[in-house]
Amino acid sequence: MTDPRSDQTELERAIARALAQGRISRRRFLRQAGKGGLITASALSLPAILAACGIKPSSSAGGGSTAAGATPVVLPSTPAGTLNWANWPLYIDIDEATGDYPTIKKFESESGIKVTYNEDINDNEEFFGKIQPDLSAGNPTQYDLIVLTDWMIERMIRLGYLEPLDKTRIPSFDANAQDLYRDPWYDPGNVYSMAWQSGITGIGWNTKLVAQLRPAKPEITSFDDLLDPAFKGQVGMFSEMRDTMSLALLSLGVKPADATNDDAQRAQQKLLEAANRKQFQGFYGNDYYDLLNGENLALTIAWSGDVSQMKLYDNHDVEFTIPKEGGMLWVDNMAIPKKAAHPLDAHLMMDFWYKLENAVTLTEYIGYFSPVKGVAEQVKADADKARTDGDAETANALDVVSQTAFPSEAELANAHTYKQLTEADERVWNELFNQVVQG
Amino acid sequence: MRRRFGWLVPYLFLVPGGLWLLAFFLVPMLIMVSVSLQQGTLSAGYQMTWNFGIFPEAIGQAWPQMVRSVIYALIVTALTLAIGYPMAYTIAFRGGRYKNLLLLLVILPFFTSFLIRTLSWKLILADNGVVLGTLKSWHLLDPGFQLIGEAVAVISGLTYNFLPFMVLPLYVAIEKVDPRLVEAATDLYASRREAFRRVTLPLSMPGVFAGSLLTFIPAVGDFINAQILGSRDTTMIGNIIQRLFLQTNDYPRAAALSFVLIAAILVMVLAYARVVGSEELTSG
Amino acid sequence: MSPVMATTDPRPPPDVHVRPLRERAARLILPVFTALTVIYLFLPIAVMIAFSFNDPRGRQNITWQGFTLSNYLDIWNRPDVTDPMVTSLIVAVISTIIATTIGTLIAMALTRYQFKGRGALNMLIFLPMATPEIILGASLLSLWVTVGVQRDIVTITIAHVMFNISYVVVTLRARLAGFNRTLEEAAMDLGADEWTTFRKVTFPLIFPGILAGALLAFALSIDDYVITSFVSGSTRTFPLWVFGVSRIGVPPEVNVLGTLIFLTAFVFIAVQIWAQRRQQRATPGAAA
Repeated sequence: MTDPRSDQTELERAIARALAQGRISRRRFLRQAGKGGLITASALSLPAILAACGIKPSSSAGGGSTAAGATPVVLPSTPAGTLNWANWPLYIDIDEATGDYPTIKKFESESGIKVTYNEDINDNEEFFGKIQPDLSAGNPTQYDLIVLTDWMIERMIRLGYLEPLDKTRIPSFDANAQDLYRDPWYDPGNVYSMAWQSGITGIGWNTKLVAQLRPAKPEITSFDDLLDPAFKGQVGMFSEMRDTMSLALLSLGVKPADATNDDAQRAQQKLLEAANRKQFQGFYGNDYYDLLNGENLALTIAWSGDVSQMKLYDNHDVEFTIPKEGGMLWVDNMAIPKKAAHPLDAHLMMDFWYKLENAVTLTEYIGYFSPVKGVAEQVKADADKARTDGDAETANALDVVSQTAFPSEAELANAHTYKQLTEADERVWNELFNQVVQG
Repeated sequence: MRRRFGWLVPYLFLVPGGLWLLAFFLVPMLIMVSVSLQQGTLSAGYQMTWNFGIFPEAIGQAWPQMVRSVIYALIVTALTLAIGYPMAYTIAFRGGRYKNLLLLLVILPFFTSFLIRTLSWKLILADNGVVLGTLKSWHLLDPGFQLIGEAVAVISGLTYNFLPFMVLPLYVAIEKVDPRLVEAATDLYASRREAFRRVTLPLSMPGVFAGSLLTFIPAVGDFINAQILGSRDTTMIGNIIQRLFLQTNDYPRAAALSFVLIAAILVMVLAYARVVGSEELTSG
Repeated sequence: MSPVMATTDPRPPPDVHVRPLRERAARLILPVFTALTVIYLFLPIAVMIAFSFNDPRGRQNITWQGFTLSNYLDIWNRPDVTDPMVTSLIVAVISTIIATTIGTLIAMALTRYQFKGRGALNMLIFLPMATPEIILGASLLSLWVTVGVQRDIVTITIAHVMFNISYVVVTLRARLAGFNRTLEEAAMDLGADEWTTFRKVTFPLIFPGILAGALLAFALSIDDYVITSFVSGSTRTFPLWVFGVSRIGVPPEVNVLGTLIFLTAFVFIAVQIWAQRRQQRATPGAAA
């Protein structure tokens, strides 16, 4: 096995050179690179992965989805010419110098639709809180297209807050979407949403600090490491209930998708016991990044991609591990809120992103798990082409992308999906978790 | 003519403000009261069930954070008074020509977003940052010493952020005190200290009162400082309400807690007004 | 014994200009304390300004990595960064003007006139300050949604005026309480009508109080995060933007804008002070 450190330096140098050329904006590329994956050398064979994955629609279960038979939203014959799109930060390619979004500009020139792109979404529940009052009153929000995580999509479908899609206007999805992302548990039949990008939640940790604090066993392998008193006060958890509770459930040997409220109670007890002895430094959203990077946390629940790019670019002493009991696989999805003013424009945008070339550009910039077929092969082909063209830097950069942006079989095998909670259960779980977070 | 309608004048003065507050404060608050008495879910909708039981239930769950918030706010008020009064006094009485300049200096830092200031404090007080890191490397501090996440950090942040709310009213009141009164007192053989105690201090009480209120009340309901500088053990009632509102979407409970909080504040303030002099609330 | 003057008095002649050392040292306490406090006040500002010149390699703007001016030069090409600031300024200026006007009227009515309903009014003024911002924000949002109004810069401004009125009134009232009416009466005795009296006597005297109230309102408006986050819709103000990006890592652009706002406030206030100085010099003897 090659020394990961020398690989790293090599890669880092290659990337630095590539980016110095301005070929790919360095900050953006590395900021996003591999939010969805690890630096593991793996041949990618998607059909093989499919078999191992856990993203299947839950059979029956509490799925109160009345999706079947939902009539698609009525679309005008011509697009309105404007689109208001809300997304998470750092989730699209950007030209750092001008602040423009190149691929969006491409869409604008191809379709004639002017796009207002807002990075308004920082947290699922926070954003939900923002648009919920309008939706519950039956008013339009100001957004035509939004991107939310799978379980939130499920809730919005349940509440009737999303427009059913007219698939005839999004042919690229049927043509190009990976089976992995079709017919998901949170939106059977993709009636309301289509995958945007996907990733894994696991543990990010600082090798130096961990070795310092626990020299006897300086590796992190399990969720229980987060609760080890050796790391007291140096541990981070997520403030989102689902991530933290699900990982805790996995550590109890319970599959989150099958967990009962009693299981949740046990998971909560486990977390509470640790919280009460001041094990955790805090419960974070995106802000864990700064702390892990700045060596203020020894280990924390984290997103794989953040950690790999932190390792490449900011703090080299970090590693990402999927706990041996399992990590969480999440999928962010595009959807159209009810009564959106420009639904056809939104449909056209969704279709745009399922075209191979656009998906490839996106992945090459932000490096998450792409839901589009053929992206992995295309990225590799681009890398090869760059190599034959003599552009070694670009080739190396694209090699990094192809390694980080596509999950390996092993990763997918160990990644689980969230439980589909009913409203009553959600309230119970939230109350349990609030006690952990707020005491 | 002027005399006949003279009585109308104060009411005319009050109309714009009164209407504004009525429409954009009272009415929304009434809506919120009704929300707290409702029950339901997001999907099924909320119905008004006159669920007064929500109040004891919410209090039962959140009273530790409430008590904590009150204690923090009291400490913060005392600290800002201790820091702010001497400062306001110095500027007002010793500032001379530079009074306004000094006041400018005091207010100036607070024209930047308090988020940025609080984030800067997080940087300054970071475990291995400039201050603590240096002290630790000199072995003056335990390597495990932490400020961020402790009550000290949250209270410091609150004190810093609410200092101008105390200083400005104090200054305005102290500055109004006629120095000739002080001079008269010393002419009558009072020591400087006595002159202060018996002349300046009582005359500045309206400022003390205003400043204390303006500091205590927002401090009790704050959640940003606790969020940025605090931890699980420093959770304030504002954090609870915010989470209930924006993350768990439990609106009735959030609204109920808010009203309990306002009621608690009102009770304390009325008690304070009694002590200081009830004419403060109705001073004219 | 004849009343003869003492020829040798061991004590030094009483001379008020020579104070014993101890007393002089004691007199230094207050100014030193004030100076230290001012330093304390500026500490995070200094950090903010320093880090606006930082050249962070990565997303991190936590450790000093190198001096650069590029953050300042680049900022103008970043509408995603400057637009929120412009919005905040517009909202702050407009809401300050409206709130100060309304607040001054109320404060004057409260301190100078007797009328019925004083108690209720005091309550009404006081309650917004006693209410946690999050409730003010959420209740306003409920209002807009019920009425069906889209949230944007107008609703933000309305909210800012609402909470600022109370602060202006309270600040001003502390000053107006005990205002010396005899000056006004003297002016009127000398033949001035009410408007002229107000213009030439009252207003200049209460102006510093009004200014203090306006400054407070402006600062509160620029600063507001919680209430604004509820009623802003998709409009972004500066604090909203700061909070958004700080989740990921505070970029130097945040510090750049903070520094620029700080400088703007500095100039704004300095001009005010200068204008006041001029007015003071023109009317010697008027209270500051």
